[in-house]
Amino acid sequence: MRSFRIVIAGHGTLPAALLATAELICGQIPDLAAVGLEPTETPDHYADGLRAAIGHDHRPVLVLCDLLGGTPFNMASAIARRSPRVVCIAGANLAMVVEAALAAGTLDDALVERLIEVGRGGIVETERHRARRVS
Amino acid sequence: MGLRLVRIDDRLIHGQVVAGWLRTLGAQRIVIVDDATASDEFLREVLTLAAPQGVPVEVCGVADGAARLISLAGTPEPVIVLARMPRTVLALRHAGVPIEVVDLGGMGAGPGRRRLHKTISISPDELRELRELEQMGTRVEIQIVSDDRPIPFRSLDSSN
Repeated sequence: MRSFRIVIAGHGTLPAALLATAELICGQIPDLAAVGLEPTETPDHYADGLRAAIGHDHRPVLVLCDLLGGTPFNMASAIARRSPRVVCIAGANLAMVVEAALAAGTLDDALVERLIEVGRGGIVETERHRARRVS
Repeated sequence: MGLRLVRIDDRLIHGQVVAGWLRTLGAQRIVIVDDATASDEFLREVLTLAAPQGVPVEVCGVADGAARLISLAGTPEPVIVLARMPRTVLALRHAGVPIEVVDLGGMGAGPGRRRLHKTISISPDELRELRELEQMGTRVEIQIVSDDRPIPFRSLDSSN
């Protein structure tokens, strides 16, 4: 059983769509929230929503952000810098969300490394990928 | 021309800047000029984290920012300059920074602020400051993302 909560943070409807799509793959995912930044929303208002989703108990939280340098990431990384129980990763994709959702155990360094590896590892171009697979 | 984009945006670095402008302009450096941010170590660090690898972020106050920008304007290195409010750009202009165009990229709504266009709202003080910039020969344009056609501020300033 996963001991930490997951929050998907991103622009517009992407977080909700990532959540819904991950559930198509994994079935219902507990302790997973999506917080989308609306075009007219202020960064401070968005940060309030993010803090509510992160929760005020002492559980560790993994925040998966869609874009390095975007407002969702900027707000999440500011929260993470002040709160050691919050870990923030940018560049989230579906493979990473699924891996995190299905992870068992604790939010430790090994898991963070694995999530980054899975996110990167799922990015291939078919011809280059084939050449490596068959050689 | 070193200063490829001088942008007023109260979010400073965010998605439109890193995913849009940085790529379109091929900028290799971001200079933020804002006294409040320059004196807050935590904010400075968060903004430094917001830029992609290989793109240094400098955060200056208005006084040291002007000197830094005058020197960067003379180099071929493409630079994006971000400020949170018109007053800062006006101060830079008064200090001799060569600014041909200033882009209004994000100015949030709020009490006492009039909506000019989409996500651009201004206060009466800011209106005066933008008019002064135009009088000094700096063109003021609204261009939220690099793909937008720039809209001259003058065409929206109805009392002109």
